[in-house]
Amino acid sequence: MTLVHSLRKRSEPAPGGYRRPWWDPRRWFGWILRSWRHSMQLRTVAVTVMLCVLAELITGALLSARIADGLFQERLAQVRVEASAWLRSADSSFQAASASDKSTTQSLVNDTLRSLRGEGNVQREYVLRDISKNAGTSWVVGQYSSRVADQAIPESLQSAVTNGDDVYWQSVALDTPDGVHPGVAFGKRVQIQPNREYALFVVYDLEQVQGTLDLIHGVLLLGFFLLLVVIGAIAWYSARRSLQPVAQAAATAEKLAAGDLDERMGVRGEDEVARLGRSFNKMADSLAAQIVRLEELSQMQQRFVSDVSHELRTPLTTVRMAAEVLHDARDDFDPVNRRSAELLYDQVERFQVLLSDLLEISRFDAGAASLDIGEWDLAPVVTRVLQTAQPLADAAGTELVTVLPSTPVPVQMDPRRVERIVRNLVLNAIEHGEGRPVHITVAGDATSAAVAVRDHGIGLSPEDAARVFDRFWRKDPARTRTTGGSGLGLSIAMQDARLHGGWLQAWGEPGQGSVFRLTLPRKVGEALTGSALPLADPHPGDGALAEALEADDSDWFPRTRLALGQGPDAAGQGAAGGSGQGPADAGAGPDDAPVPGTLPGPRRSVPGDLDAAGIEDSGTGTVGTGQLDAVRRRREEDA
Amino acid sequence: MKGRILVVDDDEALAEMIGIVLRNDEYEPTFCHEGTGAMDAFRRERPDLVLLDLMLPGMDGIEICRLIRAESDVPVIMLTAKSDTADVVRGLEAGADDYVPKPFKPAELVARVRARMRGGDRPVPEVLQAADVTIDIAGHAVRRGDTRISLTPLEFDLLVALARKPWQVFTREMLLEQVWGYRHSADTRLVNVHVQRLRSKVEKDPDHPEVVLTVRGVGYKAGQA
Repeated sequence: MTLVHSLRKRSEPAPGGYRRPWWDPRRWFGWILRSWRHSMQLRTVAVTVMLCVLAELITGALLSARIADGLFQERLAQVRVEASAWLRSADSSFQAASASDKSTTQSLVNDTLRSLRGEGNVQREYVLRDISKNAGTSWVVGQYSSRVADQAIPESLQSAVTNGDDVYWQSVALDTPDGVHPGVAFGKRVQIQPNREYALFVVYDLEQVQGTLDLIHGVLLLGFFLLLVVIGAIAWYSARRSLQPVAQAAATAEKLAAGDLDERMGVRGEDEVARLGRSFNKMADSLAAQIVRLEELSQMQQRFVSDVSHELRTPLTTVRMAAEVLHDARDDFDPVNRRSAELLYDQVERFQVLLSDLLEISRFDAGAASLDIGEWDLAPVVTRVLQTAQPLADAAGTELVTVLPSTPVPVQMDPRRVERIVRNLVLNAIEHGEGRPVHITVAGDATSAAVAVRDHGIGLSPEDAARVFDRFWRKDPARTRTTGGSGLGLSIAMQDARLHGGWLQAWGEPGQGSVFRLTLPRKVGEALTGSALPLADPHPGDGALAEALEADDSDWFPRTRLALGQGPDAAGQGAAGGSGQGPADAGAGPDDAPVPGTLPGPRRSVPGDLDAAGIEDSGTGTVGTGQLDAVRRRREEDA
Repeated sequence: MKGRILVVDDDEALAEMIGIVLRNDEYEPTFCHEGTGAMDAFRRERPDLVLLDLMLPGMDGIEICRLIRAESDVPVIMLTAKSDTADVVRGLEAGADDYVPKPFKPAELVARVRARMRGGDRPVPEVLQAADVTIDIAGHAVRRGDTRISLTPLEFDLLVALARKPWQVFTREMLLEQVWGYRHSADTRLVNVHVQRLRSKVEKDPDHPEVVLTVRGVGYKAGQA
């Protein structure tokens, strides 16, 4: 049931039947959310890919840092040697020259700097700064080969150079017109002119290293992306491989649940999947065997009841004929024998009613009952019943009040069965109505037609209302039967209602009487959603609880649903939940299936129970039996 | 004595009880308690009516019914413990005229017997016509041209009932009352089955009946002469 339910739910359109347009992101979000919830495969792949991305990010970061570091260090070591050597040689050449005149010094500086610049394809710039604090003429002005390099010299490097004698270096950012390049600056204090100090810097552009690094990054990224795709595909494939048996198991289980007991999973190999398949099939086998066994048991029981009923018919016929012959001749007997003949006659009649009811029930249990459908107006069917019930109502001093609709209520039904239902309800109301009026209301709406029978007798408690359709159920076992009912009437009525796909429900309140309502769909096969009549008393004394009994329940397992007293409709709606199931559903859903361990109906109605059920008090209360029998006999004849 | 009735039932107590009831009504019952001897008893006793139980040891009641029909038009009433559709219809198709479901009351049984035994009391010489079929009521004969058509008494009664009022459409319920003698509505399958049997005998082409016409949704009527 749950499975079917969830499946149905999935295929439903968006709430309210509205479908968002394709360009609405919410639709795609919803789609993704649904796929996420319903596809384990998608989830597996997504999680794998996400974890993979994370792993690649970490690996990539480590690799990149390591490579960058390696490249940079190598280049740095190289340029450092070069720069240091050059700076020292420049320094020493300046010192060695120790030129004393301005022009010589200037040409020396120019030569030195030019040699620095011109070498090879290595991008190398120089910056010369005058850092002397004392005033005086400087022979050489501060100069640089590149403005970018000049601007890139950081303050800290300059101060280190100013205060130290070594070659100092520092990483710098070169703000070139094509963007910021990484670079490294070396600096040394040099003395070009006596008593005058200069700082000489060499700046290397490491853009080439960055280029190499970028290339490596690109290759890495591409590699990672390809890896991701491959891993995603692998995850998809392996998830599919390992989840396919699960999907197959689910599909098989659904078919099994739908009643196809021969459905099995395909098993190949020896792996875990094969084990799942084998266990599943073993489970299905044992389930099927169990079901078949229960079915056989149930059929055996039903056949037994049916056979017993049939076997009883022949002797009963003899007894009935003999009883009638004696009854016809009773005027010739003495009073004792006469009364005996009368009792014999009445009780044989009653026995016969009981037996035919029992047979009817066994026919329902065997699923042999079928509808003889035609379209009939409901009101005349009810009126016919009331005519035959009138003598009994008169005997009980009960007034039958009818409220019929002004327009015909055509219903597709088996009139014989509907008549039997209504007759059972009316006779029941007369029996328990304590002589107070019984109201019979007929109504119809667009999809349903209903008959409600209201009595004002002793009433029913909610527990009673739940059990009233049970076989041989009696409200008070100590109460004597005044009429010769078999105790099966309401059960049969319930089965008849179920056969029509209708509801038969009871409401009651101790001391307030009870309502029995039959609701039929106007067209056979249509599910009921509501009833044309309220179930509970239209004028409930104190907002009492309304008790609805669902007509779809198996007789031996009646279940109730409480609907808080929000007016009559609440009860009707409350009952609507599951009771609209037609006869086709009976026994199909898990809810209807006999529960293993609790044998269904036939056990309770085997002849052994007859004693307990109705014959024990055969000596008492036969008043009115004849009339009831007249009614029932007519029914038999109608049948 | 109003007539001889053969009671074929394996339950001796019931057969005896039926016998008592029939004797009370001045019929003369004879008995047969098993299926295999039923046909011998039938030929020996030459009864005016047969009461036949459907479930018999030795031979099936339906089979016996078929055998009786093969050599005689004597009315056959089935006693059925099974009121299930299939058995009743099979019995009727085998040629039974009527059936009484167990447990029945003496009055019911006698009424059914009486309805089938009222033969002889039709003194009025009368000839009816239905389509090209001539019905001689006094002679109890049906002819098409010079060919005589053999009908069972029930089929004859059915045809006569229709042919007497060729202008009227008979519902199944009306026919049940007139031909079978039911006062309350009963099993209309009786009518359906016997109309089919009647047509198979009197019609030239039972698929396109001319003598017994179906009036859709109402019932049957006789074909115009």
